[in-house]
Amino acid sequence: MKMWVVFSVGQRLRHIGHLDLMRAMQRALRRSGLDVCYSQGFSPHINLSLASPLPVGMAGDREVMEVPMQSLIPPETFKQRLNDALPIALRVISCHHRPDDEQAAMAQVCAAQYVFEFMDDADRLLAGVPEYLKRVSIPAIRKSKKGDVAFDIRPLIFNLFTKEGKLYATLALSQTGTAKPLTVLETLADFVGIPTPRAIATRTGLLTSCFGPLEAI
Amino acid sequence: MSLSDLMLIERLLDEVEKPARYLGGEMNAIIKEKQPGDLRFAFCFPDTYEIAMSHLGMKILYDILNAQPHIICERVCMPWVDMIEGLRREQVSLFSLETRTSLHAFDIVGFTLQYEMSFTNILEMLDLGGIKQRNEDRGESDPIVVAGGPNAANPEPLSMFIDAFMMGDGESLIVELSQTVRTMRQTGARREEILYALSKIEGVYVPRFYEAAYNKDGTLACFSPNRQGAPESVRKRIELDLENAPYPTGFLVPYTQIIHDRIVLEIMRGCTRGCRFCQAGMLYRPVRERSLDRLYGLAEKLVQNTGYEEISLSSLSSGDYPCLEELIQGLMERFREKRVSVSLPSMRLDSLVKQSLEETSQVKKSGLTLAPEAGTQRLRDVINKGVTEEDLMRAVTDAFESGWSAVKLYFMIGLPTETQEDLEGIADLAKKVVDCYYRVPKQQRAPGLRVTVSVSTFVPKPFTPFQWFGQDDLETIRGKQAFLRDRLRIKGVQFNWHDAELSFLEACVARGDRRMGEVILAAWRSGCRLDSWREHFKFANWLKAFEECGLDPAFYANRLREYSEILPWSFVDIGVTGKYLQLEDERARAGIVTPDCRGDCQGCGLRRFEGVCTA
Repeated sequence: MKMWVVFSVGQRLRHIGHLDLMRAMQRALRRSGLDVCYSQGFSPHINLSLASPLPVGMAGDREVMEVPMQSLIPPETFKQRLNDALPIALRVISCHHRPDDEQAAMAQVCAAQYVFEFMDDADRLLAGVPEYLKRVSIPAIRKSKKGDVAFDIRPLIFNLFTKEGKLYATLALSQTGTAKPLTVLETLADFVGIPTPRAIATRTGLLTSCFGPLEAI
Repeated sequence: MSLSDLMLIERLLDEVEKPARYLGGEMNAIIKEKQPGDLRFAFCFPDTYEIAMSHLGMKILYDILNAQPHIICERVCMPWVDMIEGLRREQVSLFSLETRTSLHAFDIVGFTLQYEMSFTNILEMLDLGGIKQRNEDRGESDPIVVAGGPNAANPEPLSMFIDAFMMGDGESLIVELSQTVRTMRQTGARREEILYALSKIEGVYVPRFYEAAYNKDGTLACFSPNRQGAPESVRKRIELDLENAPYPTGFLVPYTQIIHDRIVLEIMRGCTRGCRFCQAGMLYRPVRERSLDRLYGLAEKLVQNTGYEEISLSSLSSGDYPCLEELIQGLMERFREKRVSVSLPSMRLDSLVKQSLEETSQVKKSGLTLAPEAGTQRLRDVINKGVTEEDLMRAVTDAFESGWSAVKLYFMIGLPTETQEDLEGIADLAKKVVDCYYRVPKQQRAPGLRVTVSVSTFVPKPFTPFQWFGQDDLETIRGKQAFLRDRLRIKGVQFNWHDAELSFLEACVARGDRRMGEVILAAWRSGCRLDSWREHFKFANWLKAFEECGLDPAFYANRLREYSEILPWSFVDIGVTGKYLQLEDERARAGIVTPDCRGDCQGCGLRRFEGVCTA
């Protein structure tokens, strides 16, 4: 049996790294005393996995973690006990039993939703969104071990719109293709012809191939 | 802090390296809302977050202060260079981790003094926090700047900057000091009067109430109070009842990895071995222990509240804890289910027993660290490190036979009476350790021998029998390092040595007088900070600072002092008497060892304190 845990990472913690977050969760699970599975060996640890690493600098509203369980625990109990053991900036929203033979959460993520709140003036940027989206292809650069790789980011942008001065995006996030939110922001700023405004981004949800929330499969 | 400043901090966090250093909000961080009449205490650690958060004293005092009604304690650490630059550029004050409050908004700003070469960081933090560095420039509305910790034992080099020092154990003292400031501030008392009241608390030194005069040769002519009522001699505080002294049960659990990312269980305070180079061994006397039951109880709560996967035992000499084996056994049994491992740091090799080696390796096999300190028996006798070559060989053979292959050996060079033979001895010992490894049958030993020989430069410290000794000059040290580098080209051996320049300055500052403050300030003005970080250490700037102040660093570091000289720290009663230190120095010269005083009182002076060493 495994448990999917939907949780939020508050603004305060938007700068902690992926491994830091994993460690924080490990220790919270240890504090909670929940009956989770440990690995064997000299440094036993909980084989938890996050559906997708949260980019550094970003808060997360609905992140998903998969925890292998020793025994069946009601999701509500799990949620309460883990929340009691978590620092205030990390909150469990819901928990879900999943069958062992189900594909890992990591493999089921296809896209993610983001919202940008701007620290600099972004009026021109926001006004340029409709024109930006009209383009058939948008060249972008991805850094890889072999150096910079040019690619077309347009097909990886599923949705992009503005509301009340904020920018909302639904972007591809999978092994076959990922649009980094910052790259979208940069190419948009470039398209409009302004320097990239500084923004605080939040990942608001992880989606499956049918664009439903990951946890609602 | 204003909303726009908080926004600026958010922006800076996007820019800097390792932003997790500045976030706060960790598990077990304590956030109290300020009520009218509350006193805010900024606990400042003059080094980066990773080092600060590994420090046990901070965890203890943070909990004690926050457990007090009407006292709020928040943490402030030394920012890294990119954040320093950002704070200056955006004109944002250095802020606390808990509530991002500006340093100057606190009532008390307290520094812990763990290392002399972090003193420029104190000046940097005060400046970044909008607090005047010289204590005489601070006004009624400014925070009171205090300091404690081992380096407070010689407070004089910082006496220009700090309003009040705390000597000795801090548990009760920091509360008394804080409550005194709080109640006096409420009645509208003036700064001068608050400081005068503080000087009346046992263990507190307020430098403004003292004056120093110097002889023509630069030595102290006299040092005495200039305000009636200030004590002639400041006596350190001792927490006699360590068993019942408060100990945190909810360690902060940082997100980012820190140096000691584990539960630290202080099993004992103080050490009776009497190694003559060791300042901690003299400062933290007498020895006090915590009982097994108390330790099990604390460990239980700490494991529960932190989720840490490792417990390490802490003391100056864990091997001397009377029930060490029982303790390790007990901890392992209790926490095996919870998958918490137990590790043993700072083991003295003469107390190493094969069994406890096996115990620790059962859970985790980290490297074995041994500190013979000197290369020959003669010199080990001089420094009173009662360890023999036999002990060492037995310990490493045991370790190699039990499947360890990494050994670290710590030595010092420049110890009093050192000769060429003693240096040769270091290389010989390293060779013998390598031989020990190869004598263990191949199928029994673990592959990959790694012997790390770490050689530091001896820095004479106040309140040790070697406090009068002149440090080797730089050229001599460099020569000795080169000699060892050559001799230690042995397969399987790695040789590490410390910056001679850094040790030289450490020697200057450690035994400095009041005039040293101007040097530290001049060094900071010329850009010195984060001196203990190699990439930021600016030796030439320090030398220039000495020159600007008309002082000779060799006067402080390399000069042999007379027993009759008034030492800058003579007015501090740290427990061990000057007379005893002199006797120990004389014994050192004669190569006479002094036994552990647990068996037989050696008359170090601690018994002058009520209730000490009565058993």
